[in-house]
Amino acid sequence: MEVTQAITAHDWAGERRQHWLLAILAILLVLAVLVAAGMGAVHVPLWLVAQSMIGGESLSADQRIILFTIRLPRIFASLLVGGALSVSGLLFQGLFRNPLADPYVIGSSGGAVLGASIGVFLLPPISVAGFGTTALLAFAGALGSITLVYWLARVDGRTPVVALLLAGFAVSTMLSYSSYFLEVLDRDFGTGMRVLTSWLHGTIAQPTWPQLAIVTLMLAIGLAGSVPLARNLNTLALGEEYATHLGLSVQQTRIAVIVIGSILTAAAVALGGLISFVGLIVPHMLRMVLGPDHVRLLPATALAGALFLLVADTVARTAIAPAELPVGVLTALIGGPFFLYLLRKTKQGVMS
Amino acid sequence: MKPLIEFAHVGFAYGDRSVLTDLDATVFGNQCIAVVGPNGAGKTTLLRLAAGTLAPAHGKVLLKHKDLRSLKQREIARSVAFVPQNVEVPFSFTVEQFVEQGRTPFLQMFAGLSLVDYDAMRRAMELTDTWSLRSRVFNELSGGERQRVKIALGLAQQPRLLLLDEPMQHLDIGRQFEMIDLIDLLRREGISIVASMHDLALIEGTFSSVWLLSPDQPMRQGLPEEILRPEILEVAFNCQPHHRPRLQRRIEERMRDRMEHAS
Repeated sequence: MEVTQAITAHDWAGERRQHWLLAILAILLVLAVLVAAGMGAVHVPLWLVAQSMIGGESLSADQRIILFTIRLPRIFASLLVGGALSVSGLLFQGLFRNPLADPYVIGSSGGAVLGASIGVFLLPPISVAGFGTTALLAFAGALGSITLVYWLARVDGRTPVVALLLAGFAVSTMLSYSSYFLEVLDRDFGTGMRVLTSWLHGTIAQPTWPQLAIVTLMLAIGLAGSVPLARNLNTLALGEEYATHLGLSVQQTRIAVIVIGSILTAAAVALGGLISFVGLIVPHMLRMVLGPDHVRLLPATALAGALFLLVADTVARTAIAPAELPVGVLTALIGGPFFLYLLRKTKQGVMS
Repeated sequence: MKPLIEFAHVGFAYGDRSVLTDLDATVFGNQCIAVVGPNGAGKTTLLRLAAGTLAPAHGKVLLKHKDLRSLKQREIARSVAFVPQNVEVPFSFTVEQFVEQGRTPFLQMFAGLSLVDYDAMRRAMELTDTWSLRSRVFNELSGGERQRVKIALGLAQQPRLLLLDEPMQHLDIGRQFEMIDLIDLLRREGISIVASMHDLALIEGTFSSVWLLSPDQPMRQGLPEEILRPEILEVAFNCQPHHRPRLQRRIEERMRDRMEHAS
């Protein structure tokens, strides 16, 4: 390795740092799942959780029900939502060439909520198949809104911060309140209203395993699609004209990022609704450790996003027990100031 | 000498504003050409046409006798590297990560970088004397360092032809001389260069020929000493020094300096 190091340009140290970080994140993630599964009104000790997950029979019937029908689905949901939000944040930041882009900030979450609301209010009540339509409509909504914001906010191939924030704000506000409007139209539909309220607050509800399977599939598609895009986003960072000169198909990359990012946003919204700023915080923190290379950031972002939201959701459901805080409220409380700090920091660099 | 890039009756317009008309010119292997002319005469446009990022409205641009339009941009970028005047990077990429982008035209979709790529990057950074900067953040470099790193990205494309858009802009005099040395070095490496130049004083001695663009006139080409003459430049740049005493004085001073230098 010393020899290779001597003759080529390659950042071995950075690569080692990435591997270490991935290993640490993976270990933390497993630990967090075990701890979170034990936490709540009925406490289950860590080792019992671990045993039962590898097929042990040491739990009581009540504990098993609590673990497998209540806690674990929710834990997996928060992992999926956190991973999906963070990776779509990373993709959108690369596309907009702006570290402030986030599915919530740029309005694609709002679009997904509107799409999902149409599914809930105008189509038959949620079932497994109904969930399928909801996810599909959430995807369509995310796709439509990000395309709109992208088109509105771009000036000569760049996205000034102000234009991005204004376009995102306007579009997402419009879309969220359109969802309220749907609710008013459909008064007698009680579950729909409850579902919508939890979406708009950003709550990870009690998903069923089939719902989780669908979202897992969406996340898998989104992650697989992101892998070849990561390097393209590095090239796109040089600007559209330069990237075109270097042989990147800018148009294809753009469309692919919008579609993949929308699949991920829809996956996150279908389970958790409007959870803000996760896609902003997680990639930013990792950039501080790993640098801005999207290839290196992608796997770490998925893992760290999952870990981050699991911790946040566990705090949200246990901190003020027996009441529960919507996790979206918690991420907004942490993410809001963080967003403002970033805005201030990048003001000079990216504003113009 | 084989022709590398040929412009055949090339015309280009931005909307209604015609920039280049009926341009005929050839870049041969191992040539070093300075493109000069007043603002808006089409210097950058000419470079973009040669890089294939703009397509001519009339005529053809040929790379080794093949119409650029029939080639994929990836193929073009392996022979022709365009180094833009300004590059804005929104993230804090290191010099190495920045130069790595020069390998884009060689990479397959799912494959990472190979040793060949790393070697090309290292060679590019060594030629431009930026190897020691490889772990620094591109956005935090000085103007001169940044210029050299941009050229390193272009060299990582292993091009036959390097197109430099205003390589001397925003450089202090010391860095300008470094850039001249670098251009000399690249020429000796067998890389042809076409550079748009604002400062005419830096051309003689470095560039083998000059292309002079001026609005509404055919392009003139020739040796530096043939083109960079007051009576020609006056017309091209639409500035008559004898109407402007201060300018006249400066030109005379410069001529005197040059005479003294030569003797």
